Amino acid sequence: MGFYLIQTLNALAFSVLLMLCGLGLSLVLSLMNFVNLTHGSSYLFGSYAAVVWLGSGAPWWLAVPAAFLAAALAGLLLDRFPFARFYGRNHLAQVLLTYGLSVMFADLMRLGFGAEIRSPVLPDLLRGVVFVLGMPFPIYRIVLILAGGVLSLVLWYLFDRTIWGAVVRASVADRRMVETLGLDTRRVFALVMAIAAGLGGLSGALGVGMLSAYPGLDEEILLHALFVVVLGGLGTFRGTVAGALVLGFAMTFARVWLPEFAGFLTLLAIALLLVLRPDGLVAPKLRQV
Amino acid sequence: MRPNPLTRRGVLLGTAGVALAAHCTAPAVARSTPLRIGLLTSLSGPFTSLGESMRAGLELLIADAGGQMGGRPVELLVEDDGGKPEEGLRKVRKLIAQDGIDVLGGVISAGVALAIRDVVTEAGLPTFISNASANALAREAASPLVFRPTKTSWMLGHSGALWTFQNIAKDGGLTVGADYAAGREYIGDFVQTFQEQGGSVGTQLWTPLGTTDFSPILTTIAAEQPNFVYAFFAGADAVRFLQQMQEYQLQDLVKLIGPGALFDQEDVVPAAGSAALGGINTFQQSPTAPAAHGFVEAYLKAGGRLPGEASTAGYVTGQVIRAGLEAVAGDPSDRERFRQALLEQPIETVIGPMRFDPRNNQAVLDIYVNELVAGPDGQPLNTVVHTFPAVQDPGPAG
Repeated sequence: MGFYLIQTLNALAFSVLLMLCGLGLSLVLSLMNFVNLTHGSSYLFGSYAAVVWLGSGAPWWLAVPAAFLAAALAGLLLDRFPFARFYGRNHLAQVLLTYGLSVMFADLMRLGFGAEIRSPVLPDLLRGVVFVLGMPFPIYRIVLILAGGVLSLVLWYLFDRTIWGAVVRASVADRRMVETLGLDTRRVFALVMAIAAGLGGLSGALGVGMLSAYPGLDEEILLHALFVVVLGGLGTFRGTVAGALVLGFAMTFARVWLPEFAGFLTLLAIALLLVLRPDGLVAPKLRQV
Repeated sequence: MRPNPLTRRGVLLGTAGVALAAHCTAPAVARSTPLRIGLLTSLSGPFTSLGESMRAGLELLIADAGGQMGGRPVELLVEDDGGKPEEGLRKVRKLIAQDGIDVLGGVISAGVALAIRDVVTEAGLPTFISNASANALAREAASPLVFRPTKTSWMLGHSGALWTFQNIAKDGGLTVGADYAAGREYIGDFVQTFQEQGGSVGTQLWTPLGTTDFSPILTTIAAEQPNFVYAFFAGADAVRFLQQMQEYQLQDLVKLIGPGALFDQEDVVPAAGSAALGGINTFQQSPTAPAAHGFVEAYLKAGGRLPGEASTAGYVTGQVIRAGLEAVAGDPSDRERFRQALLEQPIETVIGPMRFDPRNNQAVLDIYVNELVAGPDGQPLNTVVHTFPAVQDPGPAG
């Protein structure tokens, strides 16, 4: 009983991490129809930023906002040049550009932060465990689950329930119409790109206690994020959450029951879902152009 | 292809060596032509940090040797295999055909080592596998010119089983490993020896290479409360496994033992921090081994870090190449003579005395049992608690 309860919590914590990775990517892909393969770089940059921040002795609870701001700033700069010139181009051109950039960023981060594995110095508060029915569960992961829950609610509200979110969605659906209303869509896109990159950095800062930071992590994260976004369905926020939950639970319980086939089972589940629901778990209402 | 600045540094070093040699005496012309050592290592991909360390280790040895071996100046040519067999193969062909290297060292990944085996054998190129541990290279894939101045998986799994059986528990343990060739070898050899001793091993857990979240396995371990866990992970996987063990507060409950890579002093311990404390590993090297005295200090001074397996392997490879070259007065072109020179006399290295098994050119090595205890600076330090002298792989017959 306790065993399965903890495994469920394990799955939940991992799902939150996957969701955080997927959110930033999904935002740009579904709202702006822009394939941003530098998302893994934003994540890793956020991780390194958090490691440096926590190592510097600054207040630990500011590490996550700091990573968000650092990555968002990088996103804003990238939006100025060269992303803005590619928003209107086809996906192939965007993939070429952003993949190339991600390789460059990987090398730059290796130069700046070194090739060795870096882990954060976590505050004692986050290092304990709670015992649930006699089984240990780390406090860090409880915080992760809570943070993920709060963050997804905030984002959902922001993009689905505020006028500001409506402007972003309208800018994607019909950019010219929005411009005739006197709104500068250029700035809207710049802001969304900054928030998306910031989310990448933020998830990197939250996830670094679990995954550490090292060269190559950017690619792993990008792959997971793509899984989540494709599985959940493009263009919907709930889809990303659903995709992350399905993937997180599939990966965790595959490892509990049949660890030797965990990778195979996970990919099989993804393949089956894609066959059954080719548009994703939550089909988008937006028409992709 | 991006240019490789350290190859350039190697060339500079070599040039300095030439100048020095020309200045000192006036040896025969042939002897003043630089000896070209190729280093195939991973400077990109999953083994980047190991590859960088290996290069640093070999560069330190060449610097210690004054840029000369066997009276000839040394030129180091570094190539990056990216951890990929086909890339390694391409780079080795380039080193042989285009650069005309005299000896080859390096190789992090077992996949690369097995891939280049036929090419170097056909080319008759003396090759030193510094890091890859695949048992096959000491057995069915052994080659007369491929030397391995490091361990096989069996040497670590076997000695780990002996120590666990004698000192930890005879049953009630479980194993967990990264599910790829190296993990299967280490854990398989551990289980086999452990059972031959009369012990029994419980559940065997496997998890894919590059696992990010170990929590399902950790909860299983917490539920089973085993007497010990024998684990194999390397690099980032090892760091995450150790940290998550600590996160779930299993570190103090369960005795953790594994091959040395799980607690690599340079690659894993600095990142894992206190999560590494209390662990046990069997390894062919240790920063506290008496033989490593001097080297550890020099490496620390050069790079600010304690040496781990890859950097030590780079240094040892250089020592072995140097010893071989001294024995043939700097001329390895007579392959059989060079080979005999290496086989004949034991070499004193920074991992202890080394001799090569004439059946398969596999090094026979002392295997250290290291325990991770807090060092002078409070950081975990691999501290030798026992030495298995002259451990020899079963070889082609086994």
